[in-house]
Amino acid sequence: MSAAPALPRAWRDGQLAVLLLLPIALINAIGFILPVLNLARYSFNRSRIGGGIEQVFTWENWVGLLSDPFYLELVLNSVWISLAITLTTLVVSYPIALYLHRASGSWRTFLTVLVISPLLTSAVVRTYGWIAILTDDGPVVSAIKALGLPAPSLMFNIKGVFIGLTEILMPYMILALMAGFGRLDPRVEEAARTLGATPARTFRKVILPLTLPGIALGCLLCFVLAVSSFITPKLMGGGRVFLLATEIYDQAIVTLNWPLASTLSILVLIVFGAALWAYSAVLRRLD
Amino acid sequence: MPTTSAPDEHLRLEGIGVSFGAVNVIPSLDLSVRKGEMVAFLGPSGCGKTTTLRIIAGLNKPSRGSIMVGGRDITHLPIHDRDMGMVFQSYALFPHMDVSHNVQFGLQMRNVPAREAEKRAAQALEMVQLGHLAHRKPKELSGGQQQRVALARALVIEPSILLLDEPLSNLDAKLRDEMRVQIRALQQQSGITAVFVTHDQVEALSMCDRVVVMRGGHVEQFGTPTEVYERPATAFVANFVGRTNRLKGALTAEGILTGAGQQLRSATRLPAGAVDILVRPHRIRLQETGEADNKVQGTVSTITFIGDLVQYGVSVGGEEIVVEEATRRGRSPLAAGDSVTLGWSAEDTLIYPAGEK
Repeated sequence: MSAAPALPRAWRDGQLAVLLLLPIALINAIGFILPVLNLARYSFNRSRIGGGIEQVFTWENWVGLLSDPFYLELVLNSVWISLAITLTTLVVSYPIALYLHRASGSWRTFLTVLVISPLLTSAVVRTYGWIAILTDDGPVVSAIKALGLPAPSLMFNIKGVFIGLTEILMPYMILALMAGFGRLDPRVEEAARTLGATPARTFRKVILPLTLPGIALGCLLCFVLAVSSFITPKLMGGGRVFLLATEIYDQAIVTLNWPLASTLSILVLIVFGAALWAYSAVLRRLD
Repeated sequence: MPTTSAPDEHLRLEGIGVSFGAVNVIPSLDLSVRKGEMVAFLGPSGCGKTTTLRIIAGLNKPSRGSIMVGGRDITHLPIHDRDMGMVFQSYALFPHMDVSHNVQFGLQMRNVPAREAEKRAAQALEMVQLGHLAHRKPKELSGGQQQRVALARALVIEPSILLLDEPLSNLDAKLRDEMRVQIRALQQQSGITAVFVTHDQVEALSMCDRVVVMRGGHVEQFGTPTEVYERPATAFVANFVGRTNRLKGALTAEGILTGAGQQLRSATRLPAGAVDILVRPHRIRLQETGEADNKVQGTVSTITFIGDLVQYGVSVGGEEIVVEEATRRGRSPLAAGDSVTLGWSAEDTLIYPAGEK
């Protein structure tokens, strides 16, 4: 039977692909798509005192949210702080990633493990670590006081959240940057140098453009993680820093207003969508 | 102290050395390159030829010694101030720029006005016949085209020295022949001083005015292609540049005696002792009928047809001598087992102290 072997073969391969993709598709459908659809549904329901949900269709949550300056500020604040944290993370991670990219052998392996090792402890533990370091009688504030400078308040405000999140996001940023550094060939840098480019101009005209895919990927990843971060702002903000994720928690767990929490969650999803769009726009331009 | 230099000297290496810890990769290298000449660094991998080139470019730092260009010491000059045009083995084009901007890069770094840079880049691309591809990205070009862009990019800045690091080794054989001719023509047109690193003797001999044969970080011989081929300074050079037969023998008062007991004559003078005798396969005549300085009897053991050449393995007193003859039509070829008389001249009999590699 060698009459038409090509078609059944391709068909079989297609079947196999479907079969292999089925488990993850199922898990995604049950664990992600359905809950998100559910959230979207809640955002059009009405909340009752005491945590109840009235199954009616209403625009109340959306209208209330978009007309309340508190929430508008909350969204803008979250996006703005997350962008600032992402940028800071990028600036402190870039040299490390570049160094790692250029290192070789067991030294590189050792350093890479060092960079990833913070991920082995949970963000909760690391956040408490930062609280111990940044608290009013902690080593940092004591050192500043010992120098005779006015003691800053680094805990339970945005400064602490900023410092903690930046460090927590650094491993992700470094890994993403390194993944995107593939096009950076040391010979190309050398070519730029022999053609008369100073190290600074080589960086601006060759290294930076060639590492943009990594920068875009790292920024997307860290921005998304920053906007959705909850533990660090909750613990280090001491209830005085209001961000989207903490507000969703408060609405869902403290106030028991699930429809409002759902609406805020969908809003976060929209912000993610915008970030993803910006990312793919950057990649398209690079191509 | 610098020794007397040729009046037209352009590049000079003085006691250049490279050490990694206790390992002397390059012990001490002296070299003088004239203005407008093309010099090849030829040697096996690991001989230090690429390291030396990179030291000239400033990409590697020498542990000692100095580099002079046009009488000026540039040893401590940063890479970007050296004014060298370098062509890399992997071409190293900027993947995010189109061909024209790749070529303009060096001009931009020299703050040449944009319009002039564009014009000169276009001329340089015209020179390598790639004017029509100015707006392509490097990845859209073939290997040979990328190579020519790299060449245009290095030449457009009118560098003081053109450095080429194995520029042809990533091209296929036919393209390599074409590029060899083209690079040489461009170099001669522009009268630029060039240093060419290669492990391929054909490239070195055919393209360059002089050849530096290197091994283990030192210069074995520095001479014209003819000198290097006809009068190799060492057995290594004779072996590395061109094919050669190698026989063991001894130099005595009576002359040279091979291990098999034949007496040979050589034009080379050496003190008595054990020697290696080297003869190029194509300098041996297979069926010697007339007078010859050296004549030995042998039996044909293998015949290999290579196309333009026929290679005969002739066993002479237990040793195998390879003889090459140009293929000739209508000539009845020898068969294995035939007896032959090999003949060659004393000038083609190169002798070196035994044990030299």
